[in-house]
Amino acid sequence: MIKIENVTKSYKTSTVALRDANVEIAKGEFVFLVGASGSGKSTFIRLLNKEETPDSGRIFVAGKDIGQLSNWKVPFLRRNIGCVFQDFKLLPTKTVFENVAFALEVIGRPRSVIDAQVPAILDLVGLSHKSSNFPNELSGGEQQRVSVARAFVNRPLILLADEPTGNLDPATSVGIMRLLDRINKTGTTVVMATHDRGIVDTMRRRVIELDRGSIVRDQSRGVYE
Amino acid sequence: MKAEYYVRETASNLGRNITITLASVMTVAVSLALVGASLMLRSGVENATRRWQGGIEFVIFMQRDPSPEQVQSLRDDLEQSPEVASVRFVDKKEAYEEFKLLFADSPELVDSIEPETLPPSFRVEPVNKEVDAVEALGKTYASKSGVGQVVFASKTIRLIQQLSSRLTVGIFVIAAFLLGAAGLLILNTIRMAMFARRREIEVMKLVGATNWFIRVPFMLEGLVQGLIGAFLAIAALAAFKPFFQKWLPSSRDIPLVSGFQVSSGEMFFIFGTLGAVGILIGAIGAGIAVSRFLDV
Repeated sequence: MIKIENVTKSYKTSTVALRDANVEIAKGEFVFLVGASGSGKSTFIRLLNKEETPDSGRIFVAGKDIGQLSNWKVPFLRRNIGCVFQDFKLLPTKTVFENVAFALEVIGRPRSVIDAQVPAILDLVGLSHKSSNFPNELSGGEQQRVSVARAFVNRPLILLADEPTGNLDPATSVGIMRLLDRINKTGTTVVMATHDRGIVDTMRRRVIELDRGSIVRDQSRGVYE
Repeated sequence: MKAEYYVRETASNLGRNITITLASVMTVAVSLALVGASLMLRSGVENATRRWQGGIEFVIFMQRDPSPEQVQSLRDDLEQSPEVASVRFVDKKEAYEEFKLLFADSPELVDSIEPETLPPSFRVEPVNKEVDAVEALGKTYASKSGVGQVVFASKTIRLIQQLSSRLTVGIFVIAAFLLGAAGLLILNTIRMAMFARRREIEVMKLVGATNWFIRVPFMLEGLVQGLIGAFLAIAALAAFKPFFQKWLPSSRDIPLVSGFQVSSGEMFFIFGTLGAVGILIGAIGAGIAVSRFLDV
């Protein structure tokens, strides 16, 4: 599903964010990216949906070399990739329903599809009863569920999560992880960057550890360190 | 679905920054109204002094019914003269058409004239355009057989033409600056709308909205501002037209010149130009804003 070949990425400030990385992730895998702040986890994720382009090396997503992708095709790549962030990125002026519907609306899905899929996904994340609330009326955990619902409503092949539990307390985090686990069980590949030792140690999934841009460990059923 | 989305987003963008939107619409309207007024002035003066366009310095009016031989002989004379740069023959029919146009502001006069009563004439452009030389040359034709009268372009006409062309240039320069300001205002209005929507834009990119889907509402916002501005300018000029023709001197005030008429065909052309310029300025402002500030 995802293949990274000899990828190096550095920023103008001459820091090397990713050094000669080689990773292959199969369809349906659940992968944790761990490492200290600045070790390259976010860069890894941003490279996958082409928010960044590598200095060298090749990246394949769903069998396609995304380096060869022309600019106007990038949106279509992103339709296959859901994204969840630490800061949720919900639109404060839209209700829960509208926030999720927005993701379908802007890729041109018809009203009938929106009216069928949004309630179903809100049911999946357990927020049917809050669909007409605004984000600021929800708890952090609920907001992150909305954000997961928005990322998954289009049934993407891949879900990228950049520290999705970074702003949540441990109990709430467990809820979000259960949700991601359920999504993973539907066959969706999940790549999650995290600092949360407890989560990594409990879930026991594949762990890729980054240190100053280099992959120093790639372990199936791994632990945080 | 898409169209509905674009309309909704564009309307909400315009409404969100209503004050700066109004500022850019008004600037477009004022500058286009100036452009339109100067185009009207130019057509008016052109129509009023139509006989004297293109370097024509004097007109030889024949008697009412000259014989073909008289006309031919004078034509040969003029065409062979080394002092004549160009000459044009205006027959009765053409004279009548021109008369109708020149005196469109006094229909009772047009009605009282039959095509047969108008004499044919030669419009002459001399090589040497010094006043004395022109008069000397003109007078040599006054005594030819069949000639009724030789009429010279008066100083007043030259003055009016000069004044109007300078005025037109002056107004155009001012209007160009204002149009530039209008374009910058539109650009900034759109930039503000983008800033207000930066979260939406971020999410749109994230979930895979196409670049054009994100751009279109902002492009439309610029076009709508340009169009509304042009529409206001057109409405103002249409309302102002009757006064424009009343204020300017009529044929009774200046001899040999007729009223400052602007025909409806010319008005249509002027309005079309204003509409096109309005759309253009909106599109340019929006295009720059979208390409510079919308990083998709």
